[in-house]
Amino acid sequence: MINKDVVIIGGGAAGLAAAVACREKGIEDILIIERESNLGGILKQCIHDGFGLIKFQHSYTGPEYAQKYIDQVQEHGIEFLLDSMVIDITSQKVLTVVNKSGLKKYRAKSIILAMGCRERTRGAIGIPGTRPAGIYTAGVAQNLINIHNYMIGKEVVILGSGDIGLIMARRLMLEGAIVKMVLELLPYGSGLPRNFNQCLADYDIPLHLNHTVIDIKGQKRIEAITMAKVDSKGKVIESTCQEISCDTLLLSVGLIPENELSKMAGIQLDPLTGGALVDEYGQTTINGIFTCGNVLQVHDIVDNVSLEAEHIANGVERYLSSLLKPKNSIKIEIGPGLRYVLPQHIQYLDDTVFSFRVKKPGNKKQIIFRNDNRIIKKKSFIRVNPAEMIRIKLTSSELSDIKHLKVELN
Amino acid sequence: MKKEFVCIVCPNSCRITAEYDGWEIKHIEGAQCKKGEEFIRNEIKNPLRIFTGSVKCKNGNYQLVSVKTNKPIPKKYMKQVAQKTHELVLEAPVEIGQVIISDILGQHADLVATRKVKEKN
Amino acid sequence: MKKNTEDRFDVIVIGAGVVGCSIARELSRFKVKVAVLEKESDVGWGSSCRNSGVIHAGFNNKPGTLMAKYCVEGNQKFHSIAQELDVPFKKTGKLVVAKKNNEITGLKKLKRQGELNGVKNLEIIGEQEIKKLEPNVRGVAALLSPETAITSPYLYTIALAENALKNGVRFYLNTEVENIKKKTSGEFFLKTQNKQFIADYLINSTGVYCDEIARMAGIDCYRIYPCRGEYYVLDKNASSLMNHLIYPVPHIEEGGLGIHLTPTVDGNVLIGPSNEYIDINKRNDYAVTMEVLFKLCKEAQEFLPAISPRYFIRNYAGIRSKQTPPSQGGYKDYVIEESEEAPNMISLIGIESPGLTAAYPIAKKVVSMIDQKEKLTPNPHFNPYRKGILRFEEQDDETKKELVEENSDYGEVICRCEQVTKKEILEAIDNPLGARSLISIKYRSRAMMGRCQGGYCQTRILELLKEKYNYNWNDFLLRGSGSYMLTGNRSNGEPGI
Repeated sequence: MINKDVVIIGGGAAGLAAAVACREKGIEDILIIERESNLGGILKQCIHDGFGLIKFQHSYTGPEYAQKYIDQVQEHGIEFLLDSMVIDITSQKVLTVVNKSGLKKYRAKSIILAMGCRERTRGAIGIPGTRPAGIYTAGVAQNLINIHNYMIGKEVVILGSGDIGLIMARRLMLEGAIVKMVLELLPYGSGLPRNFNQCLADYDIPLHLNHTVIDIKGQKRIEAITMAKVDSKGKVIESTCQEISCDTLLLSVGLIPENELSKMAGIQLDPLTGGALVDEYGQTTINGIFTCGNVLQVHDIVDNVSLEAEHIANGVERYLSSLLKPKNSIKIEIGPGLRYVLPQHIQYLDDTVFSFRVKKPGNKKQIIFRNDNRIIKKKSFIRVNPAEMIRIKLTSSELSDIKHLKVELN
Repeated sequence: MKKEFVCIVCPNSCRITAEYDGWEIKHIEGAQCKKGEEFIRNEIKNPLRIFTGSVKCKNGNYQLVSVKTNKPIPKKYMKQVAQKTHELVLEAPVEIGQVIISDILGQHADLVATRKVKEKN
Repeated sequence: MKKNTEDRFDVIVIGAGVVGCSIARELSRFKVKVAVLEKESDVGWGSSCRNSGVIHAGFNNKPGTLMAKYCVEGNQKFHSIAQELDVPFKKTGKLVVAKKNNEITGLKKLKRQGELNGVKNLEIIGEQEIKKLEPNVRGVAALLSPETAITSPYLYTIALAENALKNGVRFYLNTEVENIKKKTSGEFFLKTQNKQFIADYLINSTGVYCDEIARMAGIDCYRIYPCRGEYYVLDKNASSLMNHLIYPVPHIEEGGLGIHLTPTVDGNVLIGPSNEYIDINKRNDYAVTMEVLFKLCKEAQEFLPAISPRYFIRNYAGIRSKQTPPSQGGYKDYVIEESEEAPNMISLIGIESPGLTAAYPIAKKVVSMIDQKEKLTPNPHFNPYRKGILRFEEQDDETKKELVEENSDYGEVICRCEQVTKKEILEAIDNPLGARSLISIKYRSRAMMGRCQGGYCQTRILELLKEKYNYNWNDFLLRGSGSYMLTGNRSNGEPGI
């Protein structure tokens, strides 16, 4: 058994930022466990730019953004394991790790879960039809093209307008494929608005809202899909069915926080986010186990992942110094119009960043934090969009002597 | 002419409405920052984009070096630059910022590496 | 001129499903030169990998039928076969659940039928006992069948084939029989795309294609009505919802057992299969349909309200080789016979459920038919044992530690959902049958079978294939020829045209 102060599971954006922040707070004994051969997580394959505008006021590509943190990890001499998989984790914070050099057990005083997320697949959304080759999730396609130098198809239809799908639409066009269309079940796009502009509009790729794929054809390689319009209840309108020939179907239909290890440890999850139930320091239902990044909630911007990770490092530091003493546990009530709010509860009443998403797009909206009838904070937005996470900070003075907290969209 | 644009400069994705006559802008509304206004000026006159892509690399811990133009280039050149990236083979090691092609297509921007690639051990 | 090679065998088995592979293995107990011809790139890609994986007890079939007899016998023998072949086998037991009181007579009928067939330990239980055994299941009464078990139908088929191969049987994959001629000498002459074969005996174990193959040999008396069954595969997280196989009371006229819930040996749960007759020309159409997927979910929820779409990870379909037309429904007994039109050709017709359970007794029967005519000599070198791929995930920590020390490839977890290591994947890639489609690797190793469906490991497996076999982009196949995964290299570092 090897003892560690902090073990971080995952060496992607969240894990790296958490490690650097922990070290900068004076925590010495940190170990990052990464299952791949290189640090950086999903950023490694996100070779497009647009990362870092909030954090560094500069637009970086994914690999550049990751390298900034990898350099810091190395400068600080933070220990990391590559090609290593955590195969077990207990509520007592004992981790079983396997890699080429063997199977080892670690006992951590504190654990930071930063495993990221996985893509929703065809099977999960139950697209009917045959099961030929040529159906890829956008992230797998991105990996094959940007890391492995392969082309995945020539004539592509994309289902779902998540950011990775939009980014891949442009990538595929630049690499010589034809992207015929992007279909989105919802009446609005799921990705960031700028990506509809620079990835679809720039390349004349049509976006069909309220449309989905209702059949897949082809025995060996996909030959066609059937697209159809859906009504306001999401029901297929039969008369709108249309067959579209293609040799590739790309899916960008959502991301799921990868919480298998969290479940193993016995951590309670929030069905609304798919991530853990946490307090204002990202501490889960097991004291000393923290979580941040896409494993906590799916982010749209990596900068927010870094910020979230840096924030929870405060909690880790206090936990290790036994300074994390609950004052008053307050469950956050979610008002109508919001899909979720994080944290789900606060208990120290320190400065807290709340993050949340709205259920549907809207103009001229207000977010109101309320303690019963008293308004604690109010912020106005020209536009709100489910694709864009909202983050609002409440200071400890704003949170002092509250009994109840509700977040509303008006 | 009046048109709504979505600014791509930052994640705010401002919806900017611009009234213009030819290349001359009469009125701009909706931009939350100066960069947004500049973006619109270019968008009307000569839309500019950062190109990103990758180039094959030998003997490295990655098969591909990701690359970008260090300045925005006219959007009409994007496919031509992509073609250039297909025709190159680099040799590891490669550092971030290393110039791969200078003044690409005469557009006053360099194609630079965005991934650090170490020599395969 | 194209030069064809001719291969001569004592027995040729057409079709490498679970029945064909069982027959091949049973034949390899004797000094007989046997070949198995399979049109797909691997064994078991027809109905054998597209079913519920159930080793039935034998109470669903009419007493006196071959179906009933072989099912009961197959169930009783399965445990020892599974041990010989290192195939997963779990005696989970089954509950046939009556949702309403008026279905209880149906349960009693099933019990009586089962007892006539020789099924042991059948018992009818009440609502309270159902709750005790299956707290999440709704029902007023149930037939409990402790003898019902589950296996991995594809691993079983693969194991049979590998054992047969080891005992001298030749397997020809990607070899579709196009033409059969009976020569005056009495031998059969088989034409395939690349090769020609000669055989004294021919076994038609081609499942849903059995009528077509029979017709090639001049036998035109069989009719097949393909009947599709669709399934959902549920996440392993759903396995805690139930312990037994959960079935509805069957309506015999439907010709299926009704949509049921089956735990798999890997810890997933299956919902299905549905029951829709399809056009005879679409008998290779394994598509799933929107209507049926919706129905599967709805019917499963009637037993187990906790089932929800968030558990879904995949869907698939299988096709039953039925002899009864849609207008008639129900079951017609297996036909295993040598017909006058083609002596020495043994036809296996209508081998639908419980074909997986019955495969062994069917194979014994076929071999005895040949033995009666030929007086076969035992093969003194026959070895009934075969080892499967050791599953790292199933070992305790001490064993895992030793395994990694022995071979560091065990220390590289490639598929995270199913915790499959590089060692296991390399073994799967190196399988004795030489099947290297991604689906072949998946069935053997479980990699790509979990909740992310290969999102994490698929690219890594392609890399392993590239490292090991120097694969080019056009060598990667999902499911046999034509199912290419890639369309080129992104860049060859050469000037474009």
